[in-house]
Amino acid sequence: MKERKQLLMIDDDPDFVEGIKSILTAAKYDVDVAYNPKDGLAALAKKRYDLLLLDIMMGRGAEGVMIARKMGRDPKLREIPVLIITGIREQIAFLFGSKTLHPHFVETDEMLEKPVEPKLLLERVERLLKAGEKGSRSQ
Amino acid sequence: MTAEKRGRILIIDDEDVVLDSCQAVLGDGGYELATARDGTAGLELARQFGPDLILVDLKMPGISGFEVLDAIHAGDPTIVAIVITGYSTVSSAVEAMQKGAFDFLPKPFTPDELRLIVARGLERRRLVLEAIALRREREMLRENFAAIVSHELKSPLGAVQQNLYGLAAELADRLSEEQRNRFERLKTRIDDLLKLIQTWLRAVSVPVAKIRESFAPVAPGEVVARAIETVQPQAVRKDITIGSSLGEPLPPVRGDAGSLTEALVNLIGNAVKYTRAGGRIAVEARAEGGEVRIAVADNGVGIAPEDLPHVFGDFFRGRTAPAAETGSGLGLALTRRIVEAHEGTISVESEVGKGTTFTIRLPVPVEAQEPLPR
Repeated sequence: MKERKQLLMIDDDPDFVEGIKSILTAAKYDVDVAYNPKDGLAALAKKRYDLLLLDIMMGRGAEGVMIARKMGRDPKLREIPVLIITGIREQIAFLFGSKTLHPHFVETDEMLEKPVEPKLLLERVERLLKAGEKGSRSQ
Repeated sequence: MTAEKRGRILIIDDEDVVLDSCQAVLGDGGYELATARDGTAGLELARQFGPDLILVDLKMPGISGFEVLDAIHAGDPTIVAIVITGYSTVSSAVEAMQKGAFDFLPKPFTPDELRLIVARGLERRRLVLEAIALRREREMLRENFAAIVSHELKSPLGAVQQNLYGLAAELADRLSEEQRNRFERLKTRIDDLLKLIQTWLRAVSVPVAKIRESFAPVAPGEVVARAIETVQPQAVRKDITIGSSLGEPLPPVRGDAGSLTEALVNLIGNAVKYTRAGGRIAVEARAEGGEVRIAVADNGVGIAPEDLPHVFGDFFRGRTAPAAETGSGLGLALTRRIVEAHEGTISVESEVGKGTTFTIRLPVPVEAQEPLPR
């Protein structure tokens, strides 16, 4: 039998998390949740995840960006695909200067705007998980 | 103006007696002073010295006081200029004030007259700088407002919507047809609300300077095609035909393709809203005397004459609007802001019951006006 995929979601809005988690759990994914960047990084250090669902605006600002950058510098964490789920798609360019943020880690990764329709969410999660598998096999 | 100094004053006059007396009178006032004997030296000194206020003689050998005034204000329009004139040249003092001088001081003047006019001039400078700082702060607030409101308003709605999505999916096999419909209606209502917030935010926060940063040559034909494509589904639903006609050649304009498309989508979308089923909309783009003119004409309900002057204002919705059509009342205001960011103009002509034509005019950069020789 196929092993259940391990997903981690970092988002500071518990209600939003519930909405996403219920969809993913129904689709037979195991979902862990961290409600702040600190717990999120701790979870990433403790367990091996197949995919990270990451919010951008947390705490005092765009702390999600910080997490993504930290992961990019870590040779192990870099392998984990990141799906950004954010409510601020178009403000991102303006918050971070004139450069749009996502091209930075968009090669294997995706960005979705809150709220996310279940079909779209599952489609993207599946696609990223596949891309992640391919990536690690070629290593 | 620094706190320890009461202001930096530059005096430009060819008469030593004027320079000396000004220095004598103002020297004890805690001002920082600099003097120059002609316009050229004065302008050079102004660049290094950074004055808050200049006293300049209108009649000097070499470049005139008028030219000094122009050059100073071209560099920094907030510098307060006071012109010194002989009694016989009051008319040129008036001319200088029309050119932006703050006041004039007729020769001969008393020490008190000089002190008073300088104090008033520096006060003016302080107020102008304060106003500029306030305006800058307001702009910043306005732009950041979008990000803050976006998070504070959209987050809870997004969370509600996400749970509706989740619940609808989880309960899919247990819900009756009627219950499923209610879920759908809830989702639609929240969706509309989210879109409305987005539109409002866009309208208040379109950072005009930001749009300008990404200006590049844009083909008007492509903007028209993309805008029509975006609105087409709405038009099809109302059985409205959108025709387009593009002039040849159509020179590129300088701008931001995304924003221009948005502006045009608003106009064509409006036309669809205010045109009865089966109607026609014509989009036309032509090059015309150094401009590209894009017109969106419909044969819809039209706009009442008394409403016409207000259509580009925030939150305006016309009284001839069909009751079933909802809108934020910001589409046209946003469109106007986008067009103005492109140094263009937008105008409207309308007749109730006959239809409405909106016209955008965008300047064509000089280098693009003549088609390249083949």
